[in-house]
Amino acid sequence: MEILLQLIYSGVALGMIYAVIAFGYQLTFATSDTLNFGQGEALMLGALVALTLVDGMGLNYWLAIPIVCAFGLLQGAVVERIGVRPAIKIKSEFGWIMSTIALGIIFKNVAENVWGRDDLKFPSPLPEAPMKILGANVLPMEILVIAGAVVMMLAVEFFNRKTIYGKAVVATFNDRDAAKLMGINTGLVITFSYALSSLTASFAGMLIAPLTLTGATMGSVLGLKAFAVAIIGGLTSGMGIIVGGIILGVAETTTGFYLSTGYKDVPGLVLLLLVLAVKPAGLFGKSAIKKV
Amino acid sequence: MIRTVKLTTFASLMLAAGLSFAADNIKIGVTGPYTGGSSSMGVSMRDGVKLAIGEINKAGGVLGRQLQAVERDDEAKNERGVQIAQELINKEKVVATLGFINTGVALASQRFYQEAKIPVFNNVATGSVVTQQFKAPEFPDNYIFRNAAHDSIQAPMIVEEAIGRRGFKKVAILADSTNYGQLGREDLEKALTAKGVKAVAVEKFNIKDVDMTPQLLKAKEAGAEAILTYAIGPELAQIANGMTKLGWKVPMVGSWTLSMANFIDNAGPGGEGARMPQTFIQEPNTVKRKAFIDAYLKTFKPKNNRIDSPVSAAQGYDSVYLLAAAIKQAGTTDGPKVREALESLQTKVEGVVTTYDKPFTHDDHEAITANIPVFGEVKGSRVVYAYEEDRQKGSDIRTKAVKKEAAKQPAKK
Repeated sequence: MEILLQLIYSGVALGMIYAVIAFGYQLTFATSDTLNFGQGEALMLGALVALTLVDGMGLNYWLAIPIVCAFGLLQGAVVERIGVRPAIKIKSEFGWIMSTIALGIIFKNVAENVWGRDDLKFPSPLPEAPMKILGANVLPMEILVIAGAVVMMLAVEFFNRKTIYGKAVVATFNDRDAAKLMGINTGLVITFSYALSSLTASFAGMLIAPLTLTGATMGSVLGLKAFAVAIIGGLTSGMGIIVGGIILGVAETTTGFYLSTGYKDVPGLVLLLLVLAVKPAGLFGKSAIKKV
Repeated sequence: MIRTVKLTTFASLMLAAGLSFAADNIKIGVTGPYTGGSSSMGVSMRDGVKLAIGEINKAGGVLGRQLQAVERDDEAKNERGVQIAQELINKEKVVATLGFINTGVALASQRFYQEAKIPVFNNVATGSVVTQQFKAPEFPDNYIFRNAAHDSIQAPMIVEEAIGRRGFKKVAILADSTNYGQLGREDLEKALTAKGVKAVAVEKFNIKDVDMTPQLLKAKEAGAEAILTYAIGPELAQIANGMTKLGWKVPMVGSWTLSMANFIDNAGPGGEGARMPQTFIQEPNTVKRKAFIDAYLKTFKPKNNRIDSPVSAAQGYDSVYLLAAAIKQAGTTDGPKVREALESLQTKVEGVVTTYDKPFTHDDHEAITANIPVFGEVKGSRVVYAYEEDRQKGSDIRTKAVKKEAAKQPAKK
């Protein structure tokens, strides 16, 4: 029992790492129907910038958060202006896929040249000794990641449902042309959503860096797993991301223990295929009917 | 008169030829990952090589010519290694190539050197098969040499340390899913079987995995008293961190990669006490080693005066001296002649790892035998001698054990 509990704890913590990254995918999808495939790299840049601030310049971890978030905003806006806007303008269905991937690779190479390609240690802002909860161990940092993910979810849901800007975002998603006619600056909304998505990625990078290792290649595998989480949970639901993350994380740790560590990635991905086959909008996603 | 003119012309021609010959540097390829997860080994190796080349050039070079390193970053990728091999052979026309950190890259690239009859010196890659790829009788001559402790030496050493010396009854094996990890796991299992022990858990993980909980829980549930590892720095650090998280701490004993800086730094206190076979430990206990360490620290200024991978640096350094001795003996840079000279080196070569006295023969291309490596231990974020006895005897040079003496192992505790 204790083992199962430990596996679930670790799975939830792992899932939340995926979930905080997956939020970024959701934010851009919610406005422009596009995804930033450089999400993993935005995460990596956020973590490395934070490392420079905290480790290199001796800034307090908590004080560095707003600076890293500001950096994320800027980075996201740049990605949208350079990579996505031209594709949307010419109504290209797939141009943005290549351009966001390309920008991701460029960011990775830049990071390799600035920070090197070695994995670095990110000093943990919380004690590194594990805590015992109901007989199984949890790291304080893991709790912070879980809290961060929940806060992000609440913030996004609140923003979309309660604020006027959020309504503009939702309107842009539902019908871009109609929203434009209603006086919403859809271009700005899309830029903003990209900026916001990179902000969450940078923040996520900073959250998870003390748990994973920090380096130019940290984003690639995590970005992919997060994408799976976004698909399983549904690209339109904040709740879905959290649940999707937990499902994938727990599936990984329990399969690793009860079946074989060689197959630990399989059940999560099988689930992904199942979800795509049965409910393509994701477990919690609303299936939008597109009229062509 | 005419005869004099002829002679003069001939002499001046000779001189011109001689001059251009002298001006020609001896090009040596240096290939390894200078970026990426195994870069601490690659960069240390390269720096060791550069140090040795600098010293030799200062002393007048080899055959009156200067040595020149042609450095290429193979990024630990097999396909890059192949491209580089072709470039170094056909475009740069190197005399020999030193390097290869990653077994997979070595195996993919060596074929081209073998075909071009250009000697290759593996100074870090440890896969057992590396020097066996072109062995007799299918191939009359093998151009692949090595001065690193190969896995079939390391795996039995690891098992001897865990089962023999420290008396653990139950051990778990954790290895990554790369060629390196899985070949090493096989060697470990073989060595355990030889001791009549079976690992209680054999687990694997992928490069870049961030959570090792299932693997560690399985080892824990199986009652493992020690963890034997075959992986590289970052993931090894995740194992150590995972143990800290589970509040379950058993000794880690594993391949020499546990001495990598990115393991020691990322694991922090969790990595203390990890033990691994080492051919060289950064301790100035002989004149030669002191000179080497001082020169390395002065030239490359590593962080905290700690060489990122002392073993790679030392083996890289030694490989240059071995090659230089062979070129000198051959009197030419012709590949087959250099190979013959390596196989019958007449001069003793004093390196930092050991003194090489006839290190190679036609059929034996391994300079390091089981008696040379010692056990290192991570202590205070550095790798030190694990056993006081080894430290005290550190200045005794352990030389290669010839086959018939191979049974004589270093004193057991």
